[in-house]
Amino acid sequence: MSFPVPVRLGAAENALIEQLKGVGADATAERITVAGLPTRRVEAYHYTDLKLLLKSVPPLAREAAEGDVPSLAIDDAFNITLVNGVAARQGDAPEGVNIGTVQGGVLTTRDDVLVQLNNSLVREALSLTIGASVDQVIQIAHRSEGEAGHVADAIKIFVADGASATVVETFSSSDAAHVGNHATLVTLGEGAQLTHVTVDLSARAASHFATNEYHVGAGGQLRTLVVHAGAGLARTHLFPHYQGAGAHGDITGLNLVSDGQHADITMDARHAVPQTSSQPLFKSIARGRGKSVVQGKLVVARDAQKTDAKFMHQGLMLSDEAEILSKPELEIYADDVVCGHGSTCGKLDEDSLFYLMSRGIPQAEAETMLVRGFLEELVDPIEDEAVAEVLHGVIDRWLLGK
Amino acid sequence: MTTPILEIRNLHARIEEREILKGVNLTIPAGEVHAIMGRNGSGKSTLSYVLAGKEDYEVTEGEILLNGESILEMDPSERAAAGVFLAFQYPIEIPGVATMTFLKAAMNAQRKARGEAEMTTPEFMRVVKEAGAQLQVDTDMLKRPLNVGFSGGEKKRAEIMQMALLKPSLCVLDETDSGLDIDALQVVSKGVNALRADNRSMLVITHYQRLLNHIVPDVVHVFSDGRIVESGDKSLALQLEAKGYADFDGAAA
Repeated sequence: MSFPVPVRLGAAENALIEQLKGVGADATAERITVAGLPTRRVEAYHYTDLKLLLKSVPPLAREAAEGDVPSLAIDDAFNITLVNGVAARQGDAPEGVNIGTVQGGVLTTRDDVLVQLNNSLVREALSLTIGASVDQVIQIAHRSEGEAGHVADAIKIFVADGASATVVETFSSSDAAHVGNHATLVTLGEGAQLTHVTVDLSARAASHFATNEYHVGAGGQLRTLVVHAGAGLARTHLFPHYQGAGAHGDITGLNLVSDGQHADITMDARHAVPQTSSQPLFKSIARGRGKSVVQGKLVVARDAQKTDAKFMHQGLMLSDEAEILSKPELEIYADDVVCGHGSTCGKLDEDSLFYLMSRGIPQAEAETMLVRGFLEELVDPIEDEAVAEVLHGVIDRWLLGK
Repeated sequence: MTTPILEIRNLHARIEEREILKGVNLTIPAGEVHAIMGRNGSGKSTLSYVLAGKEDYEVTEGEILLNGESILEMDPSERAAAGVFLAFQYPIEIPGVATMTFLKAAMNAQRKARGEAEMTTPEFMRVVKEAGAQLQVDTDMLKRPLNVGFSGGEKKRAEIMQMALLKPSLCVLDETDSGLDIDALQVVSKGVNALRADNRSMLVITHYQRLLNHIVPDVVHVFSDGRIVESGDKSLALQLEAKGYADFDGAAA
């Protein structure tokens, strides 16, 4: 007989338990008390051992005076800010868009500690109902302000049948050891189209966690892009669910990591019904001792015949000490599907570099051109030119910074 | 006597432990076109890479002078700015980099290296359109990623267009005829001939005499086992075509 060994709790776990008890979330507090934060033994956290990486959790963030919230300068965007979890809009919402609030958290996925924390800590979520096609880009700027704080916020986005929109979420922070736990639930009606871009530009001292859950209805077309280019520790967990025939997802992501950074994109995709498709494409660029993790799981339900899904991860190492970790997983219960996965990793191609240099382009500039070219596959499909332009800016700033 | 554009003296080069160039001597005076012919594996392409400065090759002995100045210590981009241009046998495909963007970066980088001002966009567009018209490179092709999905002919036309835009003093054409049909060969040759000038020299590397009917050389060199074994006028190319290489290098074909 063996008895479960009690988990030794660390400072981060004790702080979380106290915060959860403080808001009456005893069940979640109990879970963390029993299991602790996930370690490498939990498959979904295999390369991002939270118990090891999250040394401490600051006090729950208090409402902050709304300062100057930096966001990406997207031309003509409609801007909403979420400062320490409190929402404020700037100007009038575009026609067809209703902004409101809903009580409590928004995520329906249960089996994840960061999700449980978010659902327990969020009192009120921002709700966006997009009833008609909107040309104006909707930008939601999350900001962790003031002294180090633990911020949990949540957004619920509904795109009605046949409507289309582009939503960009940015994350920034003051230079303190914030812990952000963000949740976005997106529901796409029949034939709805959404481009959802999330960009983390938090301070290096911060830890950034986000969970994006997508429910794509029949004929719905979803394009997503996650960019990690800020926090020292960043993880975005994606849960796309394809729930109607013809639902399609282009799920993409990019980890840009420098020395000492750890960024993780984990996707758990579920093809639930026949005739859905997805093209998950992730890229990693690591320099210094940076570490990038990409995990992609495709689950195809027994009924989901004719599923067409292919996971791809391409890594680019800019230093010998960098680490890029890749874990594709297929879990297929249907027997008539086209599913696959691929993963590549390497340095900049010497022949390409020589070709550019042989035309007079100096080495540093040639390298930058090749990296930009490598990433263009992620930015190019984004139809809104203003959004594509600011993304190029984010990439260029990362390339220029060391 | 005026300084030749290119002077190669007793050039030895190796890749890893294998010596490929074994004492090349070659002088190309300004305005002349020289051809190098040789069988596969004789080291012709290596010579072109060594001239352009590819890192994989180590020069162990000898000297390369461009307009009287040694270029051995220069990296490929510095050599390009100094006037070397290599038209690749297999131009590299670079996804995500639009041909137009690349051309502008290359032209401006060379101008910058020479201390000249960057081109304005209208000026750039004008020269690109002009060069493109001559080589049947249209705006649509220029918007596509560099060499990606280009046909064999398109790739070679794009190479010669780059050459026309960058105005090098030494053009090295590595098997420019490979992968070309008769029509494409004519367009490319016409483009090359239009660039012949008193202050520019060319080194045309090829297997076949065919190309030399279109780009007529002043001097033909036969390359074998890492060095030049015979030189002559353009009739040498015809002899080679008739007799094969064995008569010149003594080895069986």
